[in-house]
Amino acid sequence: MSAVDVARIGPGAYAVTIEGRREIVYVAVSAKTRWASCRGEVFREAEDSTDSTDPTNAGRDTQGARRDKQAALPLAAPMPATVLKVLVTPGAVVKRGDTLVILEAMKMELPLRASADAVVSAVHCHAGELVKADTVLVELA
Amino acid sequence: MIRRLLIANRGEIALRIMRACRELDIETVAVYSDADAGAAHTLAADRAVGIGPAPATDSYLSIASIIDAARTSGADAVHPGYGFLSENAGFARACEEAGLIFVGPPSHVIARMGSKIDARRTMEAAGVPVVPGATPDDQSDAGVLRALAQVGVPALVKASSGGGGKGMREVEALSDAADAIQAARREAQHAFGNGTLYIERRIVRPYHVEVQILADTHGRAVHVFERECSVQRRHQKVIEESPSPHVTPALRARITAAAVKAAVASGYRNAGTCEFLVDLSAGDADTAPFYFLEMNTRLQVEHGVTELVAGVDLVRAQLLVASGEPLPWTQEQLTQRGHAIEARVYAEDPATDFLPQAGTLLLYREPRIPGVRVDSGMREADAVSVHYDPMLAKVIAYAETRALAIARLREALRSFPILGITTNIPFLVRLLDHPGFRAATLDTSFLDHHTQELMTPPSEDLQPFVDAAFAAIDRTADHGTASESPLPEASTDPWNRLTGWRMP
Repeated sequence: MSAVDVARIGPGAYAVTIEGRREIVYVAVSAKTRWASCRGEVFREAEDSTDSTDPTNAGRDTQGARRDKQAALPLAAPMPATVLKVLVTPGAVVKRGDTLVILEAMKMELPLRASADAVVSAVHCHAGELVKADTVLVELA
Repeated sequence: MIRRLLIANRGEIALRIMRACRELDIETVAVYSDADAGAAHTLAADRAVGIGPAPATDSYLSIASIIDAARTSGADAVHPGYGFLSENAGFARACEEAGLIFVGPPSHVIARMGSKIDARRTMEAAGVPVVPGATPDDQSDAGVLRALAQVGVPALVKASSGGGGKGMREVEALSDAADAIQAARREAQHAFGNGTLYIERRIVRPYHVEVQILADTHGRAVHVFERECSVQRRHQKVIEESPSPHVTPALRARITAAAVKAAVASGYRNAGTCEFLVDLSAGDADTAPFYFLEMNTRLQVEHGVTELVAGVDLVRAQLLVASGEPLPWTQEQLTQRGHAIEARVYAEDPATDFLPQAGTLLLYREPRIPGVRVDSGMREADAVSVHYDPMLAKVIAYAETRALAIARLREALRSFPILGITTNIPFLVRLLDHPGFRAATLDTSFLDHHTQELMTPPSEDLQPFVDAAFAAIDRTADHGTASESPLPEASTDPWNRLTGWRMP
């Protein structure tokens, strides 16, 4: 590929010209993610993408690709929140889609549902508790 | 005239109110929680008073702390903004009892309109049409279920003191009713401290039209035309515009007259909004039935679209009316010109069922475009906290026609890079591009059923440009400085390194 020109035009702002077409790209980097915005579209890539063999797809994390992630066991808090209600105890048999825990954050109830038919193997939270993002709340087997 | 106003709110609305105060030479007092000690609204006020810990229940919802802050700061008036205590009759009463001017209606009007049950009764008595529904005296699960069976499904179980979709559940089949009733009551109890429920028939293809009203203490009440708020997600508004593309002059005349009637019947003072559901299923808008839904006894989030088409300052009018002055305009002086449309930018992820997002705004650049107003309380490097509403900004575009206003809003959103937190901006752009939205055929259920259509991944042809920019920051080792600390990228800018430097 030839004729790629990148000029920094301000803090976090780059004018990128590829074969005569020019776009403004805004970029920012956090500990875990590289972010870019171009024409109102947002692009995210995981920062440690080196362990993937295909660098072009490494850690690509766009709107469409992320949807499956919530399906993964076990059940973790998607964001910092208060546990409003725990609806299961260890040993409970749950079906895909059953609500297991109700969190509250930003004044809204967030039901956390089982991603598959499973048995509750452990419960790591109680009502009223403030939990951090990614805290495992319920383990399923 | 009010001399010193305490603003019992935060974020963009606190800043919006301060702007009106400055133009009227009213001193401003901000209140802030521990999480907001360095927030834009805290720093912008003439003085600021801390009112407690980050959780809203301990700060922005603490009536005692706010009354105390008003007393110690020497304020003579309180503006509640929207949300928080704005529709809390107990707060308005506490202000009245403390000798403070409450910028809003009297506490007994808030109480009456805040109870959806009493509001329905008031409107029925005044001859304003209401949605068919029932208010069970027996508030037990069984009692509410009986009322639900009477009204028939589909129905909505709603919190008597609710709003913004909180404490509300849809019931499609009576077999789902028990869960819905309990969830609605729990959410209502938690959000509003009152679990009273009522049932309303769900209009199948409803258009949500609301009318801005204002009344003064001299017996005058006016409307400032309508706003269209049909694009909603789980009963939370996403796009608002004025005029409504569904309202014909004949319907406008009928619906605004009903709103003024509602204002007079409820003994209204100051700014408020009459929400109506319009049933267009019969086809002819001129004669379409509409139903009173609720009266919002406060300034609305979306008041800006009305300000742009009517060329008025609603907050200024609120402050004048609260000071006992007459309304600054007569009905005949008010006109609706051009088209205004607002998009609410939220820190939320459309891909994960619109989950609210918290984090740091690594990069945040508001658009500066003629004809575009941005109301926000955020700055680059600010943290979006889990404690408060995830709305980051309101972007409002004004133009001669609806099509031009949409084009202008779309361009404004595309020129509004926000990085570090996932926002709904790409989703909003797709929504504005949707043929159904352009043709104004969307009803309030559209987003609940067609969200997937608006989730297409970013256009592939932009990826090489993004990759080139990433490669550039890798080469310059920009991300060596990257962290969650403020301005990781901007900190490599030579101008930002000039700490301690002073203009000689």
